[in-house]
Amino acid sequence: MEETLFLKREEVKDINNYDFPALKKALKMKQEDVIVEVKRSTLKGRGGAGFPTGLKWELAFKEAADKKYLICNGDEGEPGTFKDRYLLEESPLKVLEGILIAAYAIGADEGYIYIRGEYAKPIRVFSRVIEEAREKGILGENIFGSGFNFDLYLVKGAGAYVCGDETSLINSIEGKRGRSRIKPPYPVEKGLFDKPTVVNNVETLASAAEIINQGADRYLSLGTEKSRGTKLVCLSGDIRNPGIYELEFGQATLREIIDDFGGGLKNGSGLKFVVPGGISTSILLEDELDIPYTYEDLDAAGSSLGSGAVIVVGEDHDLIDLMLNVSRFFMDETCGTCFPCREGNRQIYHMLKWKKNGFTAKERQLIKDIGKTIHLAARCGLGQTSLNFISSVLDKFEDELMVRGDINVEG
Amino acid sequence: MNYANFLERMHNIQDTYGYIPECEIDKVAREFNIPRSKVYGTIRFYSMFYTEPTGKYIIRVCDSLSCHINESKEIVEVIKDYLGIDNGETTEDRKFTLEIVECLGHCGEGPVMMVNDHIYTHVSKTMAIEILDKCV
Amino acid sequence: MLKVNIDGQNLEVAEGTTILEAAKKAHIKIPTLCYEEGLSIYGGCRLCVVEVEGENLLQPACATEIRDGMIVRTHSPKVREVRKTLFELIIASHDISCELNCLTCSRNGSCELRKVAEDIGITEIRLSPINKGYGEDKSSYAIMREPNKCITCGRCIRKCEEVQGIGIFTMANRGPATIVTTFGDKGMGNVECTNCGQCIHACPTGALHEVYHYESVWDVLHDESKHVVVQTAPAVRVAISEAFGDEPGTIATGQMVAALRRLGFDKVFDTNFSADLTIMEEGTELIQRIKEGGTLPLFTSCSPGWIKFIEHFYPEFLPHLSSCKSPQQMFGAIAKSYYAEKNNIPREDLVVVSVMPCTAKKFEAKRPEMDGDVDYVLTTRELAGMIKAAGIDMVNLEEEEYDRIMGTSTGAADIFGATGGVMEAALRTAYELITGKELEKLDFYDVRGMTGIKETEVEIDGLTVRAAVAHGLGNVRKLMEMIKAGKEYHFVELMACPGGCIGGGGQPIPTTDEIRQKRIDSIYQIDKNKKLRKSHENPYIKKLYDEYLGEPGSHRAHELLHTHYTARGV
Repeated sequence: MEETLFLKREEVKDINNYDFPALKKALKMKQEDVIVEVKRSTLKGRGGAGFPTGLKWELAFKEAADKKYLICNGDEGEPGTFKDRYLLEESPLKVLEGILIAAYAIGADEGYIYIRGEYAKPIRVFSRVIEEAREKGILGENIFGSGFNFDLYLVKGAGAYVCGDETSLINSIEGKRGRSRIKPPYPVEKGLFDKPTVVNNVETLASAAEIINQGADRYLSLGTEKSRGTKLVCLSGDIRNPGIYELEFGQATLREIIDDFGGGLKNGSGLKFVVPGGISTSILLEDELDIPYTYEDLDAAGSSLGSGAVIVVGEDHDLIDLMLNVSRFFMDETCGTCFPCREGNRQIYHMLKWKKNGFTAKERQLIKDIGKTIHLAARCGLGQTSLNFISSVLDKFEDELMVRGDINVEG
Repeated sequence: MNYANFLERMHNIQDTYGYIPECEIDKVAREFNIPRSKVYGTIRFYSMFYTEPTGKYIIRVCDSLSCHINESKEIVEVIKDYLGIDNGETTEDRKFTLEIVECLGHCGEGPVMMVNDHIYTHVSKTMAIEILDKCV
Repeated sequence: MLKVNIDGQNLEVAEGTTILEAAKKAHIKIPTLCYEEGLSIYGGCRLCVVEVEGENLLQPACATEIRDGMIVRTHSPKVREVRKTLFELIIASHDISCELNCLTCSRNGSCELRKVAEDIGITEIRLSPINKGYGEDKSSYAIMREPNKCITCGRCIRKCEEVQGIGIFTMANRGPATIVTTFGDKGMGNVECTNCGQCIHACPTGALHEVYHYESVWDVLHDESKHVVVQTAPAVRVAISEAFGDEPGTIATGQMVAALRRLGFDKVFDTNFSADLTIMEEGTELIQRIKEGGTLPLFTSCSPGWIKFIEHFYPEFLPHLSSCKSPQQMFGAIAKSYYAEKNNIPREDLVVVSVMPCTAKKFEAKRPEMDGDVDYVLTTRELAGMIKAAGIDMVNLEEEEYDRIMGTSTGAADIFGATGGVMEAALRTAYELITGKELEKLDFYDVRGMTGIKETEVEIDGLTVRAAVAHGLGNVRKLMEMIKAGKEYHFVELMACPGGCIGGGGQPIPTTDEIRQKRIDSIYQIDKNKKLRKSHENPYIKKLYDEYLGEPGSHRAHELLHTHYTARGV
């Protein structure tokens, strides 16, 4: 099976060799028409939450304000995810193009690209892109003679996964602790410095540029009815050929992705489970992999497509060790503001850390209750999804994880 | 008042001193007219900012899930033994600081370690030692 | 107006009303911890989450505004279940230990966690406590922090920053390492803390409390060789009985005096006496500054929180401060000189204890320039604790009188305890001393009440004296900025705590605006009922000057009753 190259084409890094075709096209359109085109494409945010991009732009466009901001979210941090790094390194000009198109569409004259501090190379690459774009007048005043003014600043993060949440990211740019804000108001109404702000993921913006370039029709011709277009899938784990693959939605099943693109498990190991969308999603077992890779099919399977990180886990690993690893991540990366997320993840970690034998029914119930509490009461997406992995491992490996004869759990 | 260059300011200060000293926090607080506790609290939110001196080389080894199942722990153990320090510690000669960190975004190329700004992928135990030796 | 249905009850609320506020209107109590009226919304504890029809996830009642037609369930099974688990999580992070530290906690009688447990009906705790292993912050003379008890609700942070306008606290770190701390983890005693203690009132747990002096006081009370005298500040008498279950604002002066005697104090005196003395000295200073073209406006100097504030934040204004010591320290100075000499008590055997509504007074007493005139400072709460520990049924005691002569005072001294009181007392005296005429209207209503900044003008002998009053350091800062920008006054009263001393950091918990108002009302009631209401009419103050000090502002008065300040900066 071959990749479907919608986004991974014309990966130009030299600004002198890039014509910004989508941007030029967009600048000749009315702002509303750019938004209509993106809306028509049904593009969804690629950061993990999957909010319709065109709608976000429209909401911001409709806000009356003296100033609006466009933020490109390059704070990729979900373990298993590296597609934004890939785009920033390999297609920085397309990302820039997407930023400019989005800014033009919503009426922003200033924007930020926030790249996580650990991404030293993307930061180097993109800093140079910004510099060169300024020199060439692609950033600044009257871009391509269109009368559109826009400048872009790069913000280098400093090591905090939660800043990938859009309101946390806004706080971080404002020089505050990167904790999430209470919504509403949403960023499109009151975002950066209380101005209407659109925060879009790197892949989202690059996709938007290609949608304008190749047309929404081309995009709509790809994928399934509910999942249009393509997705960059990050394959990692116990797999022979890890990497970034661009796939049309529905083109392949999860199993095909693993076998055909990933070359199957490495060292001939058997498969234990797959994390289909980054570690904030629920795992799928061997017998659940024959589903097309689409938003709807993964949802129906009780998981989520998340950020596009498919982590394949072979059978030689200790489940509790893996749960502990994921638990530590969420425990350390919660912003610390809301009690259920902070204390819940801390408790889960402590419970796992000293776990030698299996879980008792009582412990199992407790983890369930904590999971429910975090899910229902946490303040942001990080918290709400933080126990998906652990809960699903517990559910799906009950026999293996429970103390023998102790598997009756209420609820 | 524009705080938007706050993180950049902190990065620059850290590049100069190797950490963010109190006097600089004071300065920023005065400039932005905010309590210095706030600046301090903000800095301490981010794991890449340090309010104490660190080693010349900050060794970050990823131990998030993809690297973890590719035996990143072994790399960590080798480095710990070699440098004689634990996670979060700095060698006495202030050469190395070791940190086990979360995802560095090279999940397909694990195990991954970072020395200051430089990424090393597919790190083996011998390679880890070689990298450290190069720093010395 | 917006229509909303809460737990089956229909009501209409104004736009911008939160679910929490609407529920209160419907007489439904939703549990909260990080929420405090008057502070910004934090939305962290999530105890107030409720079900909103149409939403999958629960919504925080404190932070969610009512939308028209909203249907809210505040205590549905789902909500109650989540709250219980949440509470288990909170309590596990709260340093409950097998040493029964709940019993020894400063908040054993006023713990909000316990109240929440009761409100949501906790019957089981399945999680074992996590030892966070933080050290205690003992760097301050006034306030101690026990971070292990802290649940990081951030109320102290917001109180300090938003109400008091200082911001010594911050959240640091993230995840489970999230802590409340000070700049550089230096501790409260090593930063620009004013010791006002408002953070203690904000804290729902025992993570913040005063530095205790009561153990030392017990020791001296049981030491036969010591002569122990006590002074009580004006604001204590209208608040202490709250600690015994009385209604806020109950006046318990006589009962408190009786209890103090039973505790074993050799003499029970009144800080009101030295408040009258303060007016004599400060009034004289004001008149001098006006007549001789001294530095104006003159700032009052009774509030030690305010003193530390100006030393940190407005050191350039220190010459404006009255050089008068506070009533607490004037009392100490007179006790250790005049009183000791008159009664032949060697200084080393005389112990001066004060009971204050204030935590900053503990710091003030430790200032080197105060020569240790006051040995121990008890907060209202500490005294209440001692009375309880002695088994004294204070509220049912026969009323007793203060000892003479340092127990006699005028109404002017009583009102020191409320915002505007020092100003009013000073104006009463200044008017009569300057004009030689009797003041007809003794009540200066302009300077009374809870408005943050108050102003008044008084005609005295052809001069329009412009005065201003600010209480709560946030308001104090505003007023200071107005003065900096050129606003002119002759005399300004500044108090660190909202409401003045009756709202001090050492007062019974809870101290809310409603309670502050009740205490204030009682203070003015006491003043109104007194025959003598002007400090210069206090016969024993006259006697003190005649016998010992000479006249206000004399050399000896300066030696004993005046002080100097330190520019600290930030």
